Amino acid sequence: MNRIRSSVFSLLMLAVFSASAFAQTRRISGRVTVEGSGEPLNAASVTVVGTTFGTYTDDQGRFTLNAPDGPVTLRLRRIGYIQKTFPVSAGPADVNIGLARDILQLETQVVTGTATTVSSVNAANAVTVISGERLNKVPAQTIDYALQGKVPGAIITQNSGAPGGGVQIQLRGVSTINASFQPLYVIDGAIVDNSQIANGVNAITQAAGGNFGSSQDQRVNRSADLNPNDIESIQVLKGPSASSIYGSRGTNGVIIITTKQGQVGQNSLDLTQRFGTARISNKIAIRCFSSGAEVDAAGFDSTGFGAATNKCHDYQQELYGQHPFNYQTIASLRGATAGGTNYYLSGLVQHDGGLVLNDNYNKQSIRANVGQKFGGRLNLRANSELIHSLTERGISGNDNTGINPYTNFSQTPSFLDLTRQPDGSFPKGLAVNNTSNPFQNAVLIKTPEDVFRMLGSGSAVYDFISTDRQKLDFTLNGGVDSYSDHTRIISPATAYVEQVNANPGTIVVGDANILNATLGGVFRHQLSASAFTATTSAGFGQVRRNADVVQNTGRGVFPGVTNVSTATQIFTTESQDIVKSNSLFGQEEFLTLSERLFLTAGVTAERTSNNGDAQKYYAYPKFSASYRFPFLPPKTDELKFRLAYGRAGNQPLSGKYTFLTNIIIDGRTGYRSSTAVGLPGIKPETTSELEGGLDWTMFSGRARLSATQFRKQTDDLLLTAALAPSTGFASQTINGGQLVTHGTELELGMTPIRTNGGFEWVSNTTYSSNKGKVTQLPVPGFIPASGSFGSRFGNAFIKQGQLITVLQAVNGCTALNAAGTACPSANRILTFVGNASPDYEMGFSNDLNFGSFHFSSLVDWRKGGLGVNLTNDYFVGGGTLADTARARKMLSDFAKGTDVWLENSGFVKIRELTLGYDLPSSMSSMLFHGHAQNARIELSGRNLKTWTKYTGLDPEVSNFGNQPLGRFQDVTPYPPSRQWYLTVNTTF
Amino acid sequence: MKRYSTVALALAVAATAACKDNPVANPIDNPTADALGGLTHATLQLLATGVLGQDRANADAFSYLGEPGIWARNVYRIDASEPRFVQETLGGNPDPGSFSGSGAWNGYYTAIRASNTVLLALDKAPPAEFTPAEASAIRGFFRTVKALEEWRVIEMHDSVGATIQTDDQYAVNPIRCKPAILAYVAALLDSANADLTTAGGATTFPFALPSGFTSFGRNYSSVANFILFNRGLKGKVDYYRAIDRTNPTPALFATAIAELTTALGAGPGAVPPSQFSWGPYYTFVAGGSENTPNVISDSKVRLNPLVLDSIQAGDTRRSKIVTTTTLTGFGLSSSITYSGATATTANQNAPLGILRDEELVLLRAQAEIEAGQFANAILDVNDVRTNYGLPATTFATVADGRNAVLYEKRYSLLFEGPQRADDLREYGMLNATYHRPETATDPFNAALPIPRGELNARNLTVNPACTP
Repeated sequence: MNRIRSSVFSLLMLAVFSASAFAQTRRISGRVTVEGSGEPLNAASVTVVGTTFGTYTDDQGRFTLNAPDGPVTLRLRRIGYIQKTFPVSAGPADVNIGLARDILQLETQVVTGTATTVSSVNAANAVTVISGERLNKVPAQTIDYALQGKVPGAIITQNSGAPGGGVQIQLRGVSTINASFQPLYVIDGAIVDNSQIANGVNAITQAAGGNFGSSQDQRVNRSADLNPNDIESIQVLKGPSASSIYGSRGTNGVIIITTKQGQVGQNSLDLTQRFGTARISNKIAIRCFSSGAEVDAAGFDSTGFGAATNKCHDYQQELYGQHPFNYQTIASLRGATAGGTNYYLSGLVQHDGGLVLNDNYNKQSIRANVGQKFGGRLNLRANSELIHSLTERGISGNDNTGINPYTNFSQTPSFLDLTRQPDGSFPKGLAVNNTSNPFQNAVLIKTPEDVFRMLGSGSAVYDFISTDRQKLDFTLNGGVDSYSDHTRIISPATAYVEQVNANPGTIVVGDANILNATLGGVFRHQLSASAFTATTSAGFGQVRRNADVVQNTGRGVFPGVTNVSTATQIFTTESQDIVKSNSLFGQEEFLTLSERLFLTAGVTAERTSNNGDAQKYYAYPKFSASYRFPFLPPKTDELKFRLAYGRAGNQPLSGKYTFLTNIIIDGRTGYRSSTAVGLPGIKPETTSELEGGLDWTMFSGRARLSATQFRKQTDDLLLTAALAPSTGFASQTINGGQLVTHGTELELGMTPIRTNGGFEWVSNTTYSSNKGKVTQLPVPGFIPASGSFGSRFGNAFIKQGQLITVLQAVNGCTALNAAGTACPSANRILTFVGNASPDYEMGFSNDLNFGSFHFSSLVDWRKGGLGVNLTNDYFVGGGTLADTARARKMLSDFAKGTDVWLENSGFVKIRELTLGYDLPSSMSSMLFHGHAQNARIELSGRNLKTWTKYTGLDPEVSNFGNQPLGRFQDVTPYPPSRQWYLTVNTTF
Repeated sequence: MKRYSTVALALAVAATAACKDNPVANPIDNPTADALGGLTHATLQLLATGVLGQDRANADAFSYLGEPGIWARNVYRIDASEPRFVQETLGGNPDPGSFSGSGAWNGYYTAIRASNTVLLALDKAPPAEFTPAEASAIRGFFRTVKALEEWRVIEMHDSVGATIQTDDQYAVNPIRCKPAILAYVAALLDSANADLTTAGGATTFPFALPSGFTSFGRNYSSVANFILFNRGLKGKVDYYRAIDRTNPTPALFATAIAELTTALGAGPGAVPPSQFSWGPYYTFVAGGSENTPNVISDSKVRLNPLVLDSIQAGDTRRSKIVTTTTLTGFGLSSSITYSGATATTANQNAPLGILRDEELVLLRAQAEIEAGQFANAILDVNDVRTNYGLPATTFATVADGRNAVLYEKRYSLLFEGPQRADDLREYGMLNATYHRPETATDPFNAALPIPRGELNARNLTVNPACTP
C-alpha cells in the first residue's frame, strides 16, 4: 500500500515541478454566435489550446481572456454545439466565431475520473451521454422509465404496471450471481442508494409465507425518488473499463447524474404543467361462460347463472378500468448574479393514479443548487434536494391467500358479479381458499409507502496554481443521501380475505432508515505545453452506508385501528447493515500529437469492511488509448479508434460469517448453526473489461456511427455454492469461478434531412447484444438464490459451459405412464430450454422538426428471450382461459412433461411519442402579458403499443422484482398501462 | 485570499486524515458460530434448544402432515393459488425441484448436524464441566434425536433411500437403501439406550427441556423416562423393519413387541386409556418472538369425504371431524376438515404428539397381528377401540387384523404424522383397488424423490440407485 501512496505522490510532484516558466501574455476578445442564425451564444467555454487560460461568454456572446504572445489556437465549446478550434494570429485580436448546433450530440464532456473529464472527441470509452431534454421528452413516473430505449447496452425492464416504479437497469449483461447487480447511481458526486425495500404485503399475500415482507412484495428500487426534471445530463459508464474509478462498486456500471446549475446569462423561470391519464393496455383473454352446463362442466357451481343479468363480466375492465387524472407541475428558476453566485431552484408536484381505485403515486420535491465563487481561487457549491413520495401500489404478484385479483378471476365463472352492490356491500368471492373479493380489497386494504429523502452534496474547489502552462487545484466533494421509507399495510378484519385467519385484521408497519455518505478529495494538476497536455490526479474517497430496516406485523387488529401495538399477535423483525470503505487513487491522462492521441493510466486501491480482511487494499487499474485518425476517407469528418481496459470490483454483501440461527421454544432461546456456511477470507469479485471501438463522423456532422465490442470477465465470483443438504448445510460462500461476457453495441445517428425551410429529421438507432457464459465453476451446477418456482416451470441454473442466463426446466419425458397421460417423475427430462436474455435489443428514436412543430418517437425492440408465464397456469388450471382447447392441450402436455409455460418474451414497444408545437412569440407574449420568452404545447404518450407473441399481460414483468438472474417469472402481475400527457411549457 | 488558502489546506488535511478511519464493522444482527466456544452447561442449553427447535420446525404442515395424508387419501389441500398441491400429489408425482418433492430432507439433516455438533463439542468440553453420568445422558439424548430425524427421512423417502451423515461436516455420503437406513437407526437407538442406561435412570439431563417433553404424562427430563421414549421409537422402527415389504425380517416382530411393551410398561390390553396421551409433544406459541403456530391450522386443508363416510356409529373420535365451507377445485370437493385445522388461536397453540402411547399400543397390535398373536392383538385394538365408545371387535386373519388396526390408527392419529401412509404402503394397500381414484391420472405416490438441491450437489439429475 505504501508503494502505491509514494508512487502517486511522486507522480504528482513530478508533474508540478516539471512545469515550464510563465510566458508573456496578451488579451484576446471576441464574440461567439450560433452558426446560421447569428444569435449570440452565452455560457460558451473559450480556452487557449496548450494552456490553462480560459473563460466563458456573456449574455451577448462576448468574451475576453489572457493568452500567450504569438499565434494561438482557441477552442470553443458549449453543450449542444459542435466544438471548434479557431486560430488567432499574434498581436491584438477581436474575433467572431460561429458554432454549429450539435444535433447528434457529437461533443460532450465525458467523465474520466472523480474530478476529470475529456471531450467525447477524444474519449476512449463508449460512454452514453443523455441530456436532460432528451431524458424528459415524454413524462415518466421515474427516471428509470425515462431511460428506457436510450442507452445502448442497457436492458431496462419494468417489473409490473403498478404505479410508482420498480424498474431494473442491467448494463452489458449479467456480471454477478450473488453480489450487487444494479449500476451505481452517483448524483453530483454523491453515491445514491437504489435499494428495494419490501413493504410487508407478503404478510397478507403469503407469497413467501410468514409475517414479514419478501422479495415478492413488488418492491420499488429507490432511484424512483429522483426527479428527472432536475437533470442536466446523465452519463452512463457501462462497464469496468470506464467505471474502475468506483472500485468495488463499479462492476455493474455507473449512472452519473449531473443536476442543473445556474449559469451566467441564463436567468430564467421555467414552468411546466402536465395533465395526463392512463388506460389498461393489455388483458388476459378470460373465458366467458355461455351456459350453466358449461359452468358445471368446468367444476364450478352454476347456481344463479340463469338469473344473472350479465353472464360475461369483464372483471379486468371492472377492476382495472380506472381512468386516472395525472398531473405534474414543475417550476424552476435558474441564473447567476454579478457577485459570482449561481443558483438553480426547482419544485415538483406529481400525481399518477393507478388502474385500480385508490392506487396512486405522488411525489413532491424541492431542489436548491447554489454555487459561489470567492475571489479567483475558491469555488464552492452546495446542492440539496428534499423529496417526498407516497405510493399505494395495491395487491399484485404471487399470492397464497387468494387475495390477488387475477387469482380470483381465474377461479370465478364469468356470470358472478363481484363488484360493489348498490347497498355498498361486496359479494363474497367464490374463490378459492376464502371468500376474498378483489373489489372489496381495493377499497378496504391500504398499502401506503411514504418516503422522505434528503439528498445533499457539496464541493469546494481551490486553485493553488493557475498559470498559462499549469494548473493545480484541490477538490473536496462530499454528499449525503438519507431517507426514511415508512410502509404500512392495513388489511382490516372486515375484509373477507382476513376472515379465515385465526386473528383477522393485519397491520404491517415498516421503517427503513438508510444513509449513504460519500467524502472524497482529489488533487488535479494540468500541465499544458505545445506538444501535449498532461493531467495528473490523485486523491482519496470514503463511503459509508448505514441501513436499519424494522418491520412490525400485528394480527388481530380491530377494524379501523391502525396501531400495531393493539394487535393480538405481534411479530417483529429487524436487519441492520454498516459498511465502511476507504480508497486511494491516482491517474495520469496524456493528450498529444495535436490532440489526436489520448492516453490514460490509473489505479484505485480500496478496502471495505465487507471484505474478509477489512484492512487489505484491492487494486483496480485502468488503461486506455484513443487515436483520431489523421488520414480520413471521403466525406469523413472524424474517425477515432479507441481501446480501453479496466478492472472494477463487486464487494461481498454477505457471506463473511457463519451465523447462528436463533430458535425459541417456550420462550427459551436456542441456537443452531446456520445452514449457510460463511467464508472468513471473502474478497470482492473482480471484473476486467476490454473495450474497443470506433467513432466515425461523416457528412459534415450529419451522420455518426459508433461501434463497440467488449469482453468482460468476472473472476472470484461470490458463489453461494449448494452443499448437499444431507450434510446439514445448504450452502457455502466461496470465491471462485469465472464468467465471460462478449457484447456488441452500435449507435447510428443521422440527420437525413435538414432544409433551409426549417425542416429537420434526426434519427438515432441503437443496437446492443451480449452473451455471458460461465467459463469456470468450481462447484456442481446449482439454482441461484434468485426466486423461482421450480424446474417444472423454469428456473435459472448456473453450470460451467452454459450461458449465465440459461433457463432450465423439465421439458420432455423418456416414457409416459401406461395410460399415456402423464410422465412419471423419474422419466421427466430436465434440460436447458433456452436463454432468458434477449438475443439483441434495438432502439429507434426519430425527431422531426418543422418550424414550430416537433414530433418525436422512440421504439424499443427486444428480440427473443424466454419468459415463464405462470399467470397462464392459474387460468389453465382454473378452466377459465377463453381458449379452452388451448388450455386443455396445455394441461395435457404439462402432465406429459412438457413445459408449456415457456414463452418468447420478445416485443416491440412504442415507448414514447410526442407531438409539440411552439406557440408564436406574439401569442405567448399575449397569453403571458409579455413576460414569456417562449411557450410550447405537447401531446405525448408512453408505452402506447406493444407487439409481442407473449400471451401474458406484459413480457417485461418480474414477480421477484429486480434480481441478477431469473427475472423472467410472470405471476399474476399488475397489468400494464398506456399513458398520455398534455404538457404546457413556458420559459419566462 | 490567504484565509481561503488556509481553509482549503485545512479541509484537505482533515479529509486525508479521515482516510485513516478503520473500516472494520462487526456483524450486529446475529452472533457468529465462533461465539459459542467449547461446550459448557450454558452453551449446551442453547444448542439443545436449537436442536429441539429444528426438530419441531421439521414437523411442517405439508411434508410431515399434509402430503402423506394426501397420499393416504385422508386429506386434500385445495388451494387455487397453488395448483401443485393437487397437480403433484394426487394428479401427478412430486417434483424434486418444487416444495412438493423437496421436503422431509434438508431440515432433518440440519437437526442431525446440530446434534452431531453437540456430540463433537461434548468431547472437547472442559474436563470438569460435566460428570460422566451427565456426559452419557447427553450422548444418549442426542443420539436418540438423531435416530428420530433419520427415521423421519426414510419414512418419507422409503424405497428411494437416504444417507447417513458423518462427523466430516462436508462429506457427501452414499444414498443407502431403506433396510440399511433402518438398521442404522435401530443401532443408533440401541447405542443411545446404552448411553442412557450408563447414565442411570436417576440422572436428570443437564439442560432444561421444553414443556412438550415435561408436561404430558411423563417428564422426559428424567433419563429413566427418556429411555421409555427411546424404546418406544426402537419398537416402531423394528416393527417397520420386520414388515418392510422389500426386505421383510419377521423375527423382529417379537423384538418390536418386547420393546413396545417396555415403553408402555404394560402388557396387551393393559395400558390404561388415561396413558394414551402420554408422550413427548411439540408445543407451539402463535405470536410474539417465538412465533411458531401449530402447522395444522391450515384453512385450505379438507378431509376426503371418505374419512367421514367410513367412521363407525358411536365413535367419539367423530369430534375430530368438523363441517366447514366447501372447497372445490382441480376436480376435488370437500366440506369437512380436521377440527384442528380451523385457524383459531387455540388450534394454533395446540400441541402435536411426537410418539404417544396410543400409537405404541396400536403398533404393538400390528406386530402381534403379523406374529400371529391375534388374542394379544385383539386386546390391544379393543383397548383403544372401547375407549372411544365402540364395541369390542375381533378378527382371526392377518387381513382382518390389518383392517381393524388401520381403522383405529386412522381416527386415533388423524393429523399426527405419516402413519397411515406408512401402513398402507407396507400392507400393499396404497393403490386404486383400495381407494377410489380422485383424478383422471391418479398416481399413487409412496415416496418423495431426493430433492433437486441434493441431486445437484451430487452432479445427478435423477435419483441414483440406492446402495444396500
